[in-house]
Amino acid sequence: MNEFMNVLQRPDFIENVRIHIEYLVFATLIGILISIPVAILVYRSPSTSTAAINVGNIGRAVPSLAVLVLMFPIFGLGFDSALFALTLVAIPPILINAVVGLRQVSPQILDSAKGMGLSGRQILSGIQVPIAAPIIFAGIRTSAVQVVASATLATFIGGGGLGDYIVEGYQRNSTAIALAGAISVAVLAFITEAGFWGLERTFTPKGLRIAQKRGRARK
Amino acid sequence: MKNKTMLNRRDFLKIGGAGLAGAALLGVAGCGGGGGSGSSGPKVSVGSKKFTEQILLGEMYAQAFEDKGYDVTRKLNLGSEQVMDKALQDGTIDLYPEYTGTAYVAILGKPPESYPKTEEETYKQVAEYYKNRKDTQMQMLEPAPFENNYGIVMLTDTANEMNIKTLDDLAAKSGDLIFSSYSEFQNRSDGYDNMKQHYPKLDFKEIKIVNDLGIRYKALAEGEADVGIGFTTDGQLASPKLKVIKDTKVIWPKYYPAPVVLQSFLDENPDAKKILNSVDQSLNAKTMREMNGAVDLEQKDYEDVARQHLEEAGVIKS
Repeated sequence: MNEFMNVLQRPDFIENVRIHIEYLVFATLIGILISIPVAILVYRSPSTSTAAINVGNIGRAVPSLAVLVLMFPIFGLGFDSALFALTLVAIPPILINAVVGLRQVSPQILDSAKGMGLSGRQILSGIQVPIAAPIIFAGIRTSAVQVVASATLATFIGGGGLGDYIVEGYQRNSTAIALAGAISVAVLAFITEAGFWGLERTFTPKGLRIAQKRGRARK
Repeated sequence: MKNKTMLNRRDFLKIGGAGLAGAALLGVAGCGGGGGSGSSGPKVSVGSKKFTEQILLGEMYAQAFEDKGYDVTRKLNLGSEQVMDKALQDGTIDLYPEYTGTAYVAILGKPPESYPKTEEETYKQVAEYYKNRKDTQMQMLEPAPFENNYGIVMLTDTANEMNIKTLDDLAAKSGDLIFSSYSEFQNRSDGYDNMKQHYPKLDFKEIKIVNDLGIRYKALAEGEADVGIGFTTDGQLASPKLKVIKDTKVIWPKYYPAPVVLQSFLDENPDAKKILNSVDQSLNAKTMREMNGAVDLEQKDYEDVARQHLEEAGVIKS
């Protein structure tokens, strides 16, 4: 217990928490900035959608550690290599959910929007994106939590973060030190999950929320 | 529609979980192979910790026993010193390779500051402890003639250019240098603090925590760091491009590998001591580096690497 508290009071602990949060924020943000435009480009045609989803699924299967090691010669030691690998971790769930979310907007709704004389752009921004928002946000939330978990690997290429303590605990055979790292990661993941859950609710259009509630009530 | 995404996510987790379980199974299957040859000779169970040099040492002991007709069980992927010691006490294994310095600190529980300055004295104290143990009697046999200690490493060219031969030289010039280290070394009492205490001028421009040995070596090669820390028998050090900087003040305990064997096993098998010694005496720092390198860097099978060395050294019949 003592050793556990000691780790939390080390001067580098706050620094590593900060680095970990930076990975979370930057990797998720860059992930969103890449995935959403790509999803909007591909969702109209079934074949490009399938291609995007497949690429995303392959991306999920590549181990982050392998990406870290592969990026090393390009970005060198430290933050940049790790951020690149973590962005790759962040992209697939957002991309897949965005494509699926945009595609599953019911054709009747689109027809009526067209009938009202809305332009393609208006339909996208006013109808499709809001209706798909909960699904897209679920994807972002998945990504964010995965980034928090995967950022522990940054320690292997000098990227810092809370993984430092998990590995140190393992190297020194000290459960207390490893737990100090692991529990901090878990807490951070929990906060992330809860935060995005709140965002997801905020961004769900009111009408959709009512419809969801009614649907639940009927069951 | 919300349900749909949740399902997606759960599916993903399930697939991930199944993948992990599969990988774990493969791992277990991979390590379980190479059992006894079904002979009815005396039985021996050889253990080792789960890193390359230990596995190689364990495998070489195992092959040498097999060569003399023993029925060998391999347990070459066990855990820390404590786990190994317990495995000896409860009879799961009959022997395993341990480093004199590690035993001094971890098994004898002595503070690292009190370590003896010479290998002979370290071995003497450790061997005496094992012999007089109250719980289970053991023996630490004669150590192999090489050491696996911390190694402060630089590119040979850089070190020559800067005229750095000893850690004293390094300390004097450390203000211009980047050191890539790892978490354990920076935080344990005999690590970086100990180094700084003995070489007070040591003050690197920057210390990068890189918790992967292979990447620390890569960082040196790519110029991302000027000084790195590894271990003196790392396979990478077989290359003349890298150089271990001399620790003239002997600031670390001596880590020579030697088999720790159950006394009861030695009593029942009088030839065991000779077999183990023949393996250890066939080794030196250079051969160990090459063998570690063959497994870690060239991805060769550790069983083949061990066999090739033992055959070349004439320890076992080819």
